[in-house]
Amino acid sequence: MKKILSIVLALALLLTAMSFALAEELPTITIMFHGSNVTDDSAVLEAVNAYIADKVGAKLEVVWGTWGDFDDKATNALLSGDTGIDMVFTCSWSADEYNTYAKNGYFVKLDDLIAEYGADLVAAIPESLMQAATIEGAEGMGIYAVNGFKDTATQNTWDVNVTLLNELGYTLDDFKAMSFYDFGELFAKAKELKGDAFYPFLVEPMVLERMVTGSIIVAGDSGSTNLLSLYLNQDDVSAEGPEGNVILNKFATDEYRKFVDKMREYYEAGYVDPSLAVAETSNDTRTNTQKTGEYLIGTQSYAFGYEYSADVLDRGIEVAFVPCTDPYVDTTASQGAMVAISTASEHPVESFKFLALLNSDPTLMTLLNYGVEGIHYNLNADGLVEFTDERANYSPWTNGMGNVTILPDTAAEGAGFRESFKAYYAGAKAIPALGYVFDNAEVANEMAALGTVAAQYALALDAGALDPETTLPDFLAALDAAGMQTYLDAANAQLAAYLG
Amino acid sequence: MKVKPMRRWSWKDFWLITMVLPGAIWLLLIRYLPMLGVVIAFKDYKAQKPNTFWNNLMKSKWVGLKNFAFLKSPATVTMIRNTLLYNGVWIVLVLVLAVTLAVMMSELKNRFAAKAYQTMMFFPYFLSWVVASYFVLAFLDPTSGMIPSIQKSLGLKPTQFYMTTTWWPLILTISNLWKNVGYSSVLYLAAITGIDTTLYEAAAVDGATKRQQVWHVTLPGIRPMIVILLIMSVGKIFNADFGLFYNVPQNSGPLYPVTQVIDTYVYNTYANTHNLGMSAAAGLLQSVVGCVCIVITNGVVRRIDAESSLF
Amino acid sequence: MNKQQKNQVALNAFGPGAQALFHIVLGLFALACIVPFLFVIIISFTSEDSIRQIGYSFMPLSWSTQAYSYVFQLGDALWRSYFNSFLITVVGTVLSVAICVLYSYPLYRKDFKYRNFFNFLSFFTMIFGGGLVPTFVVCKTLLGLSDNYAALIVPLLFSPFNVIVMRTFFQTTVPRELIEASTIDGAGEYRTLLQIVLPVVKPGIATIALLNALAFWNEWFLSLLYITKNMNVIPLQYLLMRMQRNADFLAKNSAMLGADAAQAARNLPSQSLKMALVVFIVVPIACAYPFFQRYVVAGLTVGSVKG
Repeated sequence: MKKILSIVLALALLLTAMSFALAEELPTITIMFHGSNVTDDSAVLEAVNAYIADKVGAKLEVVWGTWGDFDDKATNALLSGDTGIDMVFTCSWSADEYNTYAKNGYFVKLDDLIAEYGADLVAAIPESLMQAATIEGAEGMGIYAVNGFKDTATQNTWDVNVTLLNELGYTLDDFKAMSFYDFGELFAKAKELKGDAFYPFLVEPMVLERMVTGSIIVAGDSGSTNLLSLYLNQDDVSAEGPEGNVILNKFATDEYRKFVDKMREYYEAGYVDPSLAVAETSNDTRTNTQKTGEYLIGTQSYAFGYEYSADVLDRGIEVAFVPCTDPYVDTTASQGAMVAISTASEHPVESFKFLALLNSDPTLMTLLNYGVEGIHYNLNADGLVEFTDERANYSPWTNGMGNVTILPDTAAEGAGFRESFKAYYAGAKAIPALGYVFDNAEVANEMAALGTVAAQYALALDAGALDPETTLPDFLAALDAAGMQTYLDAANAQLAAYLG
Repeated sequence: MKVKPMRRWSWKDFWLITMVLPGAIWLLLIRYLPMLGVVIAFKDYKAQKPNTFWNNLMKSKWVGLKNFAFLKSPATVTMIRNTLLYNGVWIVLVLVLAVTLAVMMSELKNRFAAKAYQTMMFFPYFLSWVVASYFVLAFLDPTSGMIPSIQKSLGLKPTQFYMTTTWWPLILTISNLWKNVGYSSVLYLAAITGIDTTLYEAAAVDGATKRQQVWHVTLPGIRPMIVILLIMSVGKIFNADFGLFYNVPQNSGPLYPVTQVIDTYVYNTYANTHNLGMSAAAGLLQSVVGCVCIVITNGVVRRIDAESSLF
Repeated sequence: MNKQQKNQVALNAFGPGAQALFHIVLGLFALACIVPFLFVIIISFTSEDSIRQIGYSFMPLSWSTQAYSYVFQLGDALWRSYFNSFLITVVGTVLSVAICVLYSYPLYRKDFKYRNFFNFLSFFTMIFGGGLVPTFVVCKTLLGLSDNYAALIVPLLFSPFNVIVMRTFFQTTVPRELIEASTIDGAGEYRTLLQIVLPVVKPGIATIALLNALAFWNEWFLSLLYITKNMNVIPLQYLLMRMQRNADFLAKNSAMLGADAAQAARNLPSQSLKMALVVFIVVPIACAYPFFQRYVVAGLTVGSVKG
């Protein structure tokens, strides 16, 4: 017994000694990213840690969240006050939603840190992004996350199969002159040419609804099915919409009725794949069909340079993206990818220094994003990035990391891509209600009830699978019974206060 | 020599306690300690200063029953009705079918066949609902599904299965039986195997036919197992099998009137609102109702047959 | 002796008509159970083109072994997670069966003074739980269950359901006189359990072991919760679920992610690959099944053809 005791004691002493030795080393800071596909980060982290040791005074560890796991992992870490996660990806659409989590005290207010260590960061990121991140959080008005500089505007486009369009005897200019309500003749001809099993209209029903009626997502609204809508001025996105700056129940508008009536007509005529109307099969069907090029007109939320991506080039058809409005900056897009520091973190200062460096220093950004030169990529004669096979083991989600404009151009994108990218989004205009976020805390129960009602009807109606004549009145009555008016009033009162 | 009416502590109890100890420690640490978190159902849980879980738990504001207000939704009646009705019917169906199949298997003369059937019946248990939902889709898919294809080739208008509620109570029932009957029948079969063989011999000597033997020996022999499984499924009557109601109907909105159950409602709501308090409240509610159901069923069972009851 | 046995057979078995009926009913149900799995195998050999054109079908337009060659390309990640699945299942099953038997045996003993207390202690947790986040906090910060094998085993070690089932097995198969006789003999409690009770209750143990093995083999949620950095310990089931969840997420959020979602979706594994992984997951446990079944079926014929 004594022997065991002495061994335990010796071990304990040894451990204490070791932990003292470790204390002399740099602290470790951990960041959790979204949507990555990384199986081997050892070479990258070694290089990163050598690079940041003096500049940040810490060692970096990364938790590579995947698309499917991030929401659970991030909310668990935050809700449980996990000290093991210092920095975490956040935005207006992930489960650790920026506005809510900042308001509930999970994110560190960065204003003081920015004043002290953030000069480079402020210089590297446009003022508008700083403003978009400025919200009323737990510690009052301020910035609670470093906002990534990426495609900061929303733009929905028609995804047109030009090859087939030409076959039908139309030019792209003919198409551009048409509206959603004129597509019928195109579809009829395509159906005639390609046979009965061909569905020409390959849409994301919810996106299509926004494209046709000009509605805009209101940040803070029910997640999966939006209930609220502001309306875009489709000719000048920075001007007030046709209804003024008022939030409406989008399903009760005349525009919506007109839209679903037309969709019903297209659906009944066999222009829309019925699988698109079912929640769990809708997007699988769309992505798979898109790959084959077996469609005439689709919908696509667009980002600059998308037409050069392998995703589009591999379809075997000529694709054109025809925008239905200019790109517009709304709250959702301008809070699209951010990184916050957890209030449970033991190293907020080092974490901030790291984030500031990541967003302003091309060397670090390139290293963490594209990997190590000579291993994950090489520079070709023109100085453009060409990826090696090793890239398959190290592919983080670029837009989720921060300032993508300081990355070097890749061979696939061509020289000057980043500059055009910046110019494109610098020219995007803001909607009048930019920055408005609906605080749903007071009407959370109404929102829960309304969300269920909307999930029951909206997707199927938007896709044309339900008859608006009979179901739309039921839908509207169910929304009223679930408290739609209370919900709308709360949103409008807040919007009026926000716009002053 | 005679044992006193008040039993005193003995070494036997000590040894038996050492047996339950590993399990008991596990229960205290991993099940009972986290139960302190139940208060989240009555709180507006937020990060406090300093941001540690226990501190947040203690200092967050009490909000009374506010987290339970999700029950005021018009969908509540539908989802509770669906949950209770499906579970109620299925408890009976699974019990009857599983016991029948187990008795049949135990009575087969061909041992090899019995083994083969039993192995095959366990297969649904290996497949998740996600995988099973592809299987259902292969039959019902509006474009390429088998049934709509047949309808089309017969010149009929294909049924839009994922848009019409009519067939779903049946589809869900078949799916549930497919998944659970084999599994339960294995439990019953193992219980039948444990029945003392001399009881059958005695019955045979008394001239009982095989059918009478099943009725008077087999069924009473597995009664404790039947009762226990029954009580436990009654305790879960407020909990629905999430994957069955979510994945198999492909979460299709227009089917909600017959597919929305408490678990899918809470899931969909949580996905919209990320409200920890509300999901804690829903979980607590399911527990309380389950508890009440178990106590009632157990009470009824104890009156009839004390030996079989749960506690 | 021989004659006597024949006589018994006649007395104890259902007639040929009934036997045939049983075969039809059981056979049909067993078939219904196995067909979906065959369907999974068919999809795993279906070419992507066929899935795109006609969806999942029993009769694909064209066949392909591409999914399997892709699975094998996963290489280390695949074999590593396969090994982990085996390790977790074997260690977990042995430990959990031991804990379950040790816990339920005293509950079966009517002369155990604290029987009701421990019975309730276990049963109560079937109904009430602390919820996900509090359990996560206790396991991770208090017990250090994070990024290690223990995190994938410990949280599943005990199941109140199995305890109740096991206790019922004790009740139905172990006559109380057996215990009384052995305690009068002065055998220790552990020796009574190991040498006298356990051999009698083998079918019960086999059943519990099967349930536990399945639970460990199919487990993926623990990996999601507790494994953040050390991907060397994840089991195969999680590898599959991660692909599934990635696809689901991208589908649900494509409107928000826009072009990014389309790019990411491009890198997702195909349906046939997922089905090939399902095959990889199901086959070993299906092969292990007869091992458990031996004990369950050993006495299967008690009622009919004895001997």
